[in-house]
Amino acid sequence: MSWLVTGMGAVASIGGSVEEIFGSLIAGRSGLAPLRGYDRDSFRAQVAYEIDDRPAQGVDEPLRATRWLERAVAAAAGDAGLGDDLSRVPVLVGTTLRELRSVELSWRDKVPFDAADLHFGTMLRRRFNAADTHTVANACSASLYTLALGTDLLELGAADTVVVAGVDTITESTYGLLDRCYPEAPDRVRPFDRARRGMLQGEGAVAVVLRRESDGPGAGTHVHARVRGVAVNCDAYHPSAPDAKNIAAAVEEAHRRAGVRPADIDLVMLHGTGTPLNDEAESTALGTVFAGLDPSPYMTAIKSMTGHTAGASGLHSLVAAVDVMRRGTVPPTVYLDDPVDAVAGFRLVRGAAERPMEPLRIAQIDSFGFGGLNAVAVVERVDEPPARDAVRDEGAGL
Amino acid sequence: MSTARTTQAVITGLGTAVRGLDGPAGLLGPLPAGHRSAADPVSRLTGRGLRYKDRATKLAMAAARDALKAARLIDDSGELTVPGESTGVVASTNYGNCDTVCETVQTIAESTYLATSPMLLPATSSNVVASWLAITHGLRGANLTLCNGPTSGLDAVNWARLLIAAGRLDRALVVGVEPDNPAVRHVTETPDPDAYDEDGAPELFDGAVALVVESPASAEARGVRAVAGIGPYARRGVHADAVAEVRALRPGPVGLWCVPEHPAGLRAPAPGLGAGAGTAPVHDLSAWYGPASGALGVMQCAAAAVWLAERATGPARGGVLDRGAGAACDDVVLVSAGTGDAGGDDAGSALILTAPGAAVPRLVDSAR
Repeated sequence: MSWLVTGMGAVASIGGSVEEIFGSLIAGRSGLAPLRGYDRDSFRAQVAYEIDDRPAQGVDEPLRATRWLERAVAAAAGDAGLGDDLSRVPVLVGTTLRELRSVELSWRDKVPFDAADLHFGTMLRRRFNAADTHTVANACSASLYTLALGTDLLELGAADTVVVAGVDTITESTYGLLDRCYPEAPDRVRPFDRARRGMLQGEGAVAVVLRRESDGPGAGTHVHARVRGVAVNCDAYHPSAPDAKNIAAAVEEAHRRAGVRPADIDLVMLHGTGTPLNDEAESTALGTVFAGLDPSPYMTAIKSMTGHTAGASGLHSLVAAVDVMRRGTVPPTVYLDDPVDAVAGFRLVRGAAERPMEPLRIAQIDSFGFGGLNAVAVVERVDEPPARDAVRDEGAGL
Repeated sequence: MSTARTTQAVITGLGTAVRGLDGPAGLLGPLPAGHRSAADPVSRLTGRGLRYKDRATKLAMAAARDALKAARLIDDSGELTVPGESTGVVASTNYGNCDTVCETVQTIAESTYLATSPMLLPATSSNVVASWLAITHGLRGANLTLCNGPTSGLDAVNWARLLIAAGRLDRALVVGVEPDNPAVRHVTETPDPDAYDEDGAPELFDGAVALVVESPASAEARGVRAVAGIGPYARRGVHADAVAEVRALRPGPVGLWCVPEHPAGLRAPAPGLGAGAGTAPVHDLSAWYGPASGALGVMQCAAAAVWLAERATGPARGGVLDRGAGAACDDVVLVSAGTGDAGGDDAGSALILTAPGAAVPRLVDSAR
């Protein structure tokens, strides 16, 4: 079985829509900026990939993640022709940190916060009249995990349309503990670079609308892509260090579910956090899966521009992959100046965006999280007449 | 979501980690007097690595071990008896890691990031309980954490069943856990117990309950007795609608109704909860154990499984409920959580549990 992506919506530090984000990605524009929400004197790290929507420098407010999720879901539902009524549509939200930043503000600074807002169903009910909603806290693989669960619901006949989403803001506790973990404070996310110092968090939300391919796009007028298969598993190995063997198993299972071979993969959206442990496990796993393929699929790691958007990152990569395949331009992994040996055989795009001569038809999206949670999706381009704005964008040389 | 094709799963093991409760059978009655001074269930855990685990994780580990043992998924030495890839974890907790987040941000404010411990980093992510359960027992299948408000525990049980129905797993360890600590009391606006004497302190559930949800084929192949079958499930904006939907899919008498946790301290079923259960006896676990949030639904299912198993085998022990010997295998329990419109919750969930003998045919592709 395969599933159609009929709606997409996203926000991140580099743009307030799918189009803006893609424009930033292929322009190599990063959302890295001085830390905005917290007292900078309390940290060694001083930068992050935040959405710049706080009332003032250093003044934080609750429910920002909920706000972005609302925007992303509204955009995706609108794009899919669902409007604002999701009363019969399951909505699955992947997240690492839920509204725990609001809990921090409530606990320490006495900012009012209602416990009902810890899960996203409260807003989804109020705004979209959605009742079959699920907050899935599956660390940084969360939104691809919800993609897997969404395809399961469709396959089992438990729903005809599903919205899957991801969202995260940066909690001060995680920011501080990451700062405590690295020998040096990261000054940017540099996936697979010898000078990498670790991961920096990003903020954002993303949502896509899914339907069974056999049912067609429904109310929507777009068919953005076809989901061929999603694999999920757990390393059961370590709370923070990933396991290359199990990552490879997830990639192989995703290929099997999608009915593709490694040679069919044209593009890999890397998880690529810029931490030595993740980079090493991911490059080892991909080295195994794509062994003997020369050249390898095109590869890129967009966290170098979005930061690690945690529970949103998997679907952020998927939405980017859809545009990459549709427009034939692969964004670069910025700040990747001196690649580690482990990726020497990989066709990593860096420096500037690249336009391959050959068409990009099938993408693999990697997403891994704390606790060894792995999710890998395989997505295929769907040829449809290009939308007018796409033609205009290409003409502008984006 | 509809459940027409997803009803094939059974419960094969139960475990509890609740102060004052000897085991799952105790869920059929209130906690004994003086339960606050009973041994902490976390003390059942031994070995290294406990220092940096939060209370929710430790409670979950204690309950999970008992459930896995009861389902014969681990042997006497703690080794897994099935392939790790075929077994997953679904955890339900709304407040499990609030303590780590609140304490860390306080430390940063007082003494900068330098005073924090990097060992706490994984616990800032809300999946910490489920991942430690997987690591502890080598469960390499799908691993989910539901933080879904008052309905979370029932939703988690249903997701376990869906993962099995979708062919991703043969079985899942399902754990509902909530800790009682200052951070949770702050978030839930529950008064601090220091202001009260032993008996007058407001309760807040502090514990974990675990289930093993399994495909009937897997249970049969392993020669393990099911204690309950999992029937229709629904999550709807109005509690009565969720109840009505599952009752329509499984009509007939209800032997027991485990009711939602009530808002504002209401300790008896309100008319707004709906009449779906008819005249069935009511079992209000939150009234007995304190508000249990994400743990409630799992606890309700465990209580239902105990009740159904006892009905099937005759009365085994004293308790608060009337149980008839040699009960029919069409006994069902209705469990529901979240009051939806009636109480300001975003939704209500309802689930039917059936007697083990009522289990439906085996799943395709489930005998890994």
